Amino acid sequence: MFFQPDKENISTDKLKAIQEENLIRTIELAGRSPYYRKLFKQYGLKPDIRDIKDIEKFPFTTKEDLRKSYPAGMVAVPFEKLVRMHASSGTTGKSTLVFHTKNDIENWATLVARGLYAAGVRSTDIFQNMMSYGLFTGGLGLHYGAEKLGALVIPAGSGNTQKQIELLLDLRTTVIHITPSYLFYLGHVIEEEEKISLSKFSLRIAIVGAEPHSEETRRKLEKIFRIKVFNCYGLSEMNGPGVAFECEYQNGLHLWEDHYYAEIIDPETGKVLPEGREGELVLTTLQREGMPVIRYRTRDITKFIKGRCPCGRTHRKIARIKGRTDDMFIVKGVNIFPSQIEAVLMQIPEVDKNYRIIIDRYEGLDNLTVEVEVKKGFFDGELRHLKAIQDKLIDTLKDNILVTPVVKLVEPGSLPSSTGKAQRVIDKRRL
Amino acid sequence: MGKQLSIFVENKPGKINKITGILEKEKINLKAMTIADSGTFGIVKIITDNNRRAFDVLKKANFLVSFQNVVVVEIPDRVGAFHRVAKILEDEKINIEDAYGFIMEEGQKAALILKVPEPERVEKVLKRRGYKLIENF
Repeated sequence: MFFQPDKENISTDKLKAIQEENLIRTIELAGRSPYYRKLFKQYGLKPDIRDIKDIEKFPFTTKEDLRKSYPAGMVAVPFEKLVRMHASSGTTGKSTLVFHTKNDIENWATLVARGLYAAGVRSTDIFQNMMSYGLFTGGLGLHYGAEKLGALVIPAGSGNTQKQIELLLDLRTTVIHITPSYLFYLGHVIEEEEKISLSKFSLRIAIVGAEPHSEETRRKLEKIFRIKVFNCYGLSEMNGPGVAFECEYQNGLHLWEDHYYAEIIDPETGKVLPEGREGELVLTTLQREGMPVIRYRTRDITKFIKGRCPCGRTHRKIARIKGRTDDMFIVKGVNIFPSQIEAVLMQIPEVDKNYRIIIDRYEGLDNLTVEVEVKKGFFDGELRHLKAIQDKLIDTLKDNILVTPVVKLVEPGSLPSSTGKAQRVIDKRRL
Repeated sequence: MGKQLSIFVENKPGKINKITGILEKEKINLKAMTIADSGTFGIVKIITDNNRRAFDVLKKANFLVSFQNVVVVEIPDRVGAFHRVAKILEDEKINIEDAYGFIMEEGQKAALILKVPEPERVEKVLKRRGYKLIENF
């Protein structure tokens, strides 16, 4: 069951031919933008693509390159062809802008619709979009995709939890699009504050994205709400959500390879890694007109999942994003991602999901401290029980990150909340 | 059955001060306090003249707090009084996990707080020997 059968189970050979054809067109088009025109001239690059692998002759495009070409240095069409602009959240430095033509918006909606369909969303569904609308791509991206699919879309936007609950109940919403941390919070408000039974809701699917999260987080959310939770991947530089989407098998995300050419590289050397190896995802737009981007370094860490998916889609799958190259920290020579620590905390019921990682160096040795909140219901006043929780955390963390951490149990509510972009890693080392 | 309050605290300056401040503000009289610590965190155990209210106000202030059953026994404030109780428990093969106390009336009487595995049995044993048990202050 596909949204676009001919495109989603296309043969690998055909897909490769489409990619090569579109890559040539993309490079030609990109050459009309001020940024790429200059770059191609400087390196003497031409769109002579005989094999898709020829893309490796082209240099990477980085976030910094996008920033430097602010506001519109990568736009490849006359301005009257453009119909929409979005911006990245700009967590670090100036935000970057992405421009779309009418076809680009249409294609983006189609890719989102493919993904929603793969997750089981149908035209009969009531789709409550709980992501913020505006410059951020999460709201409008899924909005257009769900409309394209034919679902009834409720553009609720983010926040205003009471209103969200009212809409969920009164309109019998069946599908929501939400961040994982807001979904946790929503469950808490419904059960603890409003004291409404979750069985009163008609929800069956949640599409979660915009924040890297672990498999354990997904399973926990599925258990709380008794629904299916699907992971959705995207980034504003590549339109936004809808680059890759999970199907009913929930084992990796199908990346729409007729629209994006994906490579996995070693973030240190920039070398393309063999299929199946973990590294940084690099993406090239293949059908975008307004602003083609070649070999964009996403900084997201993932790998290709080998083998065919039983769902029948031929587009390759990437693993759940493990972290970002800029989130990763190295302690005692070991690479660690905050997501690994989060995954461990999810397995231990006595502690809350908020945490903070502090790294410092004492007499030349790295120290990793994980601060975690004791959950209210588990405190019985016995020091030895707290010590047992602490020991369990140390052992499980050590098994997963290969470094023995110091675990500090702290009072509930004393760590920064999981909503918003809280700073979770504090590196005090002077390197 | 006597009760004590156990409060989870991080081991850092100002934590005890926060607890005693709340009790003062609520006009709750702190009778006894003892601390067990384990490096970065510990447990403060207190007995007050109104444990129920102390529990509520501390909980409201976001402390992790829980009730624990303890034996509170009145003993004379003089040499050897604790020893006599300890001897009785030894004879009964009862292990004392934790103990602390406070003077109730100088030279007259004191309260001894015992954390034991089977508080009901200990209360019975002490009662039989003529000791007075305190449940509430």
